[in-house]
Amino acid sequence: MSESKGIGEGGKTIKQMMEGNERLYRETGCYAGITEPHLLKENPVKGELFHSRIMASLIAGRETTRMVSGSPFVREVAELCLGLYTPEGDNIAQSTGIQIHIKLMGDNIQWMINKNYEEEVGINDGDFFISNDPVISGMHAADVYDMLPIFWEGELIGWVSTVIMEMDIGAVSPGLMPTPNVERGTDGLKFCCERIGSNDKLNRDFEHKIEFCLDMSDIFLLDRKGAIASNIRVREDIKRIINEFGIEYYKRAIRELIEEERRNQIVRIRQRMVPGRYRGVVPAEFPMADQPVAWLPAKRDTIRLIPIQMDVLPAGGLVLDFEGVGEWGWHPFNGTPQAVWGGVSIVTVQTLAYDGRGNLGSLLPIDVKEPPIDSLLNPSQIKKLATSTPWAPLLDVFGMWTHLLGIAFYLRGFREETFNYRSSAGWQMAGYDQMGNKRPLLAAGTGYFGPGACGVCDGVDCGGWLATPEVDLGSAEVWELFVPHMEMSHRIEPYSVGYGRFRSGLAIPQVVMIHRSQQLVGSGALGTASDGIIPNLGQFGGYPGGRRNTLLLRYDNLPELMEKRQPLLYEVGHPADLKDRFPGQVFDMGLIPVPTEIYEGDLLVSVSTAAGGLGDPIERDPALITADMDNGLTTEWQASSIYCVKTSYDEEAKQWKVDEAATKELRQAKRKERLARGVPVKEWWQRSRQRLMDRNVDDKILEMYQSSMRLSEAFTQEFKDFWALPDDFNL
Amino acid sequence: MSYSKEDLRDLYDGRLPWHKTFEIMSKPKDDDRFDKYVEILQERVSYPERILMPLGDHLNVVQKGEERMVKCDCGHEFGDWRQNWKLNALIFARDDTEKLEEVYPGLKCPDPNLCEVREFYCPGCGSLLMVEAVPVGYPLIFDALPDIDSFYREWLGRPLPDEKEFRDMTYDVTREWGRDLE
Repeated sequence: MSESKGIGEGGKTIKQMMEGNERLYRETGCYAGITEPHLLKENPVKGELFHSRIMASLIAGRETTRMVSGSPFVREVAELCLGLYTPEGDNIAQSTGIQIHIKLMGDNIQWMINKNYEEEVGINDGDFFISNDPVISGMHAADVYDMLPIFWEGELIGWVSTVIMEMDIGAVSPGLMPTPNVERGTDGLKFCCERIGSNDKLNRDFEHKIEFCLDMSDIFLLDRKGAIASNIRVREDIKRIINEFGIEYYKRAIRELIEEERRNQIVRIRQRMVPGRYRGVVPAEFPMADQPVAWLPAKRDTIRLIPIQMDVLPAGGLVLDFEGVGEWGWHPFNGTPQAVWGGVSIVTVQTLAYDGRGNLGSLLPIDVKEPPIDSLLNPSQIKKLATSTPWAPLLDVFGMWTHLLGIAFYLRGFREETFNYRSSAGWQMAGYDQMGNKRPLLAAGTGYFGPGACGVCDGVDCGGWLATPEVDLGSAEVWELFVPHMEMSHRIEPYSVGYGRFRSGLAIPQVVMIHRSQQLVGSGALGTASDGIIPNLGQFGGYPGGRRNTLLLRYDNLPELMEKRQPLLYEVGHPADLKDRFPGQVFDMGLIPVPTEIYEGDLLVSVSTAAGGLGDPIERDPALITADMDNGLTTEWQASSIYCVKTSYDEEAKQWKVDEAATKELRQAKRKERLARGVPVKEWWQRSRQRLMDRNVDDKILEMYQSSMRLSEAFTQEFKDFWALPDDFNL
Repeated sequence: MSYSKEDLRDLYDGRLPWHKTFEIMSKPKDDDRFDKYVEILQERVSYPERILMPLGDHLNVVQKGEERMVKCDCGHEFGDWRQNWKLNALIFARDDTEKLEEVYPGLKCPDPNLCEVREFYCPGCGSLLMVEAVPVGYPLIFDALPDIDSFYREWLGRPLPDEKEFRDMTYDVTREWGRDLE
């Protein structure tokens, strides 16, 4: 037997270590075969100190990147995150930030291990590796992973990785995460776990390449330097931690942290949820027919179903199943099984494992059934496809999973943990900035979103988005330096609401005026695949928020308005009469604006809409309604029509007040109205069934069902069982 | 870790001061929550049947004789918990622009060719129990089918008498409806 010369423990290769770890998990059900964790418990203070040292390092590393980077994505919005990994690529600890990538960065490390990098490429102390290919693992090509191995006395003892969302990766216009792109090459630069530096130094040839290939090479390179700085900082911190605690303690403790978290996650599931089956569905819309793509088969509008079933097992595990998901398509929105795990990761740290101990162990009790081959979530031809925006439908999917978790918490009595998420879409541009540089132009603050209502209070206004627990608009003034636009307002939108006994958080629309660009093309930036079908996020009688909007408003005569000092539009106002109020043209651009030339003075409007309210709106406390009215968060129309509360404005007190007697009457009348116009479900079922039998539904809807049925006999059978359709009937 | 029923009542009603609500949100969870939750709900309903499992703002699964029924606070019964309770509700389907715009005016209105917003009312009291926004033709969603026996037996350690088979019985009803049409 030849002597092993691996870089891992005891001369093993890291592939041998990874395979050994997997075997031990299969055999024992415990991470790394740790059936009796003891080290952290024997001296819990030491264990806590050990963990907090690691966490402090990761969080400080993240802040280091923010100080080095020049990108407002990093500095203003903090679209980054750091993770510490075992030699085998298993996550030990994670900083705050876009934790959706924690599992995915580990996947990239494991991809390198499986591709035998140790022998064929080489993994050395001081090497920098970079990756951004969602085919390996990732959420979209704009997210770049910088990975650094950590060695101790010649042995690989771990990895640190940083993810940053870039402002430019050289994609086709509009250049960051384009929507009118179909084929892989249109995504821009792709790095497949490539070495870009050694001996702690970035390769000069890599810098040349970036300078030649990217419009925003300075931003991209500064981000690399920020990530390298943070990775090196964490690496050196880890060495100090090893010096303090000893290498044998380190090796055992990092694995016990994962096993301890696996056990804690099961305890949390059993403590907070109820076993059983929970179901939802996400319809994903892909309007590509009018998009100017060269691959002509892509020019069609499609809708795909993504049913979601969560089984909470009596043993304490969770199973996610997407049986019934429709087929992949020629568009940049196809997901991958790895990206699905990204969604699992980010929801997990926001719903169950939010105590700062989240790591791979949080995910081990969760089983995701592999989505059917050639489905939207698992295309076999993924290498041929653009992957600029797989996250658009996935954010919807995992907003829905948050919703399902919330139902389980609610049943158990932990109503304070109940809520859900919704994502949105808007504008991005390509063109010349106010300094005359042509480049991609996307302003990407995250503090626009209204999460769903909580089970014990209203949702947090502008306070929740699935992709990051830290929603932050950043400084408008900084964005105005980077994008040739002026913010017209930051006002909370009353009509973004999901109504309910507790209402959703509200959203802030973006209303910006184009200023000082010589040439611009606007297009869509997608974080959702929901448009004409609003998401099913109402909770226990609450409504989901309405349709989100992407609008282009073009004044008829802006100079004259400015000359006369007339007020300019700064908020959308009532959604039914914008066209009557605006002195110019209003273009509703749909979910994905077709690339359109944008001119000086144009207003670009992106209106997010909130997730779900909770409970019957006519049971909302009238005092909450008048408080909202005093703050401009609810209108008189909403108070009377939706909440059935009669209000009037007290000019002296300068506040709204409730007419309690009239309110009581309004609410009683609403109940009577419901009983009068509601019909027995059986009656509705018969009508709806006949409509399906007659195929009297929109062609896109028909094709959507056909697509799911082509992939799933189980879905087909359930559909036919529900509608009592003949076995030989085909839609 | 445990909270008083008074605090939990106020928490559920949205009346608990924010600092206490935040404390309950952020601290480790209380192990006796489910039992106190059910006690609070039981105090609030007029019917005598024992609540086994909360199912919504007004709906609970109750033990009625040998049956386990979904029941509204007002007393209206929706049948076995293993059938989607929505089958026995009143429905108002917002399936055209006029009906949708009552809630979602103008720009907020979903596309009625693609989307249906279904409201489910209790036939007894007219409470809005659930709103469902789905593609036209999508089967009613059975949001939650709790495995009540496993929960009591394996998680609470006090099994219920007369355990029931855990399975979705919704299609027993719809297939029967289909036979009625023949």
